[in-house]
Amino acid sequence: MKFRSPLVRAKGLGAAKSGVDHWLAQRVAAVALVPLVIWFVIGLIGQVGADYESVKAWVGRPVNAVLLILLLGTMFHHAQLGMQVIYEDYIHTNWLKIASIYLTKFAAYLLAVGASFAVLKVALGG
Amino acid sequence: MAQISLPANSRVTEGKTYSAPPGAKNIKRFKVYRWDPESGQNPRLDTYEVDLDTCGPMVLDALIKIKNEIDSTLTFRRSCREGICGSCAMNIDGTNTLACTKAISDIKGDVRVYPLPHMPVIKDLVPDLSHFYAQYASIRPWLRTQTPPPPDRERLQSREDRAKLDGLYECILCACCSTSCPSYWWNSDRYLGPAILLQAYRWIVDSRDEDTGTRLDELEDPFKLYRCHTIMNCAKTCPKGLNPAKAIAEIKKLLVERRF
Amino acid sequence: MQSENRPLSPHLQIYKPQWTWVPSILYRISGGALAVGSLLLVYWLIALASGPDAFATAQGLLGSLIGRIILFGLTLALCYHLLGGIRHLFWDAGLGFHVPTAERWAKLTVAGAIVLAVLIWIVAYAVKGAA
Repeated sequence: MKFRSPLVRAKGLGAAKSGVDHWLAQRVAAVALVPLVIWFVIGLIGQVGADYESVKAWVGRPVNAVLLILLLGTMFHHAQLGMQVIYEDYIHTNWLKIASIYLTKFAAYLLAVGASFAVLKVALGG
Repeated sequence: MAQISLPANSRVTEGKTYSAPPGAKNIKRFKVYRWDPESGQNPRLDTYEVDLDTCGPMVLDALIKIKNEIDSTLTFRRSCREGICGSCAMNIDGTNTLACTKAISDIKGDVRVYPLPHMPVIKDLVPDLSHFYAQYASIRPWLRTQTPPPPDRERLQSREDRAKLDGLYECILCACCSTSCPSYWWNSDRYLGPAILLQAYRWIVDSRDEDTGTRLDELEDPFKLYRCHTIMNCAKTCPKGLNPAKAIAEIKKLLVERRF
Repeated sequence: MQSENRPLSPHLQIYKPQWTWVPSILYRISGGALAVGSLLLVYWLIALASGPDAFATAQGLLGSLIGRIILFGLTLALCYHLLGGIRHLFWDAGLGFHVPTAERWAKLTVAGAIVLAVLIWIVAYAVKGAA
């Protein structure tokens, strides 16, 4: 590395020719999240102080359950994409950066599926 | 290099103080970063008391006065003294600008002068810009064509197309913007930074250039381009009033546009 | 040549706080906080699906003083990230890059987020009172 010219160091391995998809997916998820989050906050406010049966009924309504599952999926996708950018910015040890990215991806899937399962369980009765 | 805190050899210690000559009434203190590569010591902050009554209006005037009259070892880059060469780019009062166009009267209290941030220091206020220049070379900043030029005249360009270069061609490559960008601080090895990306856009948007596709291909990279998070320190600090953040946003838009 | 021991010039240590990078890092922090806070939402939904006892425990934890402080913090983070996110979407469309405009919107985003978060909690307490 010490004897390489500054130009070679600047060029590196060349451009990855990718990056637009990640950037676009993050914005698409963001646009979807604006109405979903507003809907969710309003819905949640309505359930403040409500008892178990009332909350269960609200989550269990088909429209609410569907929107909740969409919210969870979109939210975790957006969060995982966002965390990836943070890791890329601050973690410079390659294996640690890549491991963090994929562990977060796995955790996002786990949490999204887990929470969606809970919503389905409430909505479909059980 | 992603040091949030300064490495041990970079921490700034307290330095010497040079008092104003007796009888001086209009005194301003200049706290200037100093580092001598031959001292083996850490950088320090020296304080110079300058009589503004016998000094020109700009920070560069004060630095030259200090070098001429107080401490000839003070080292800094300078040339045109009129804001066009970009040599005297440094961090003054917390923001990056050209010393020759920064009025001393705009600064309240002591004038703190540091080199451009997060850069290897060669000596005192002189940063090592080799990587910055190499990044510029890497975008191949010249007209690339296949069509031969008309035999009897220059390549024509409409007024509207020429107007697209305004706000781009005026860049003097002073590096104030790139070294004001936190993303460039943490990832300068792979992120091209606002100055170079603005120049990349200058060639992308030039109607006479015929290699737009390749230019965009070479920028489409999670690090070269997409470390920009629209922090906007660049546009805020540009001493020529240019807007690299906007140019970068236009590049990102073009990359999306060609996807559909 | 002593290029090996060249110091790194100060950066965060000396750069002036501005209405550019300070709202930006706060935006990132709010995003990170929400990513962590999402775990609470998952916990709450799983508790709901697990039966009245589990749900009562969850409600108790979230409704405690610490719970409410954390939830208010998350509300603030959400409001700031939502408003900041909309600001980012305008930038992505190429709008709002004039520096004074950007700074004005930065201030409005910070103020708006605080107002919105407080408003949400006032309404929530009102609903709770009526429940």
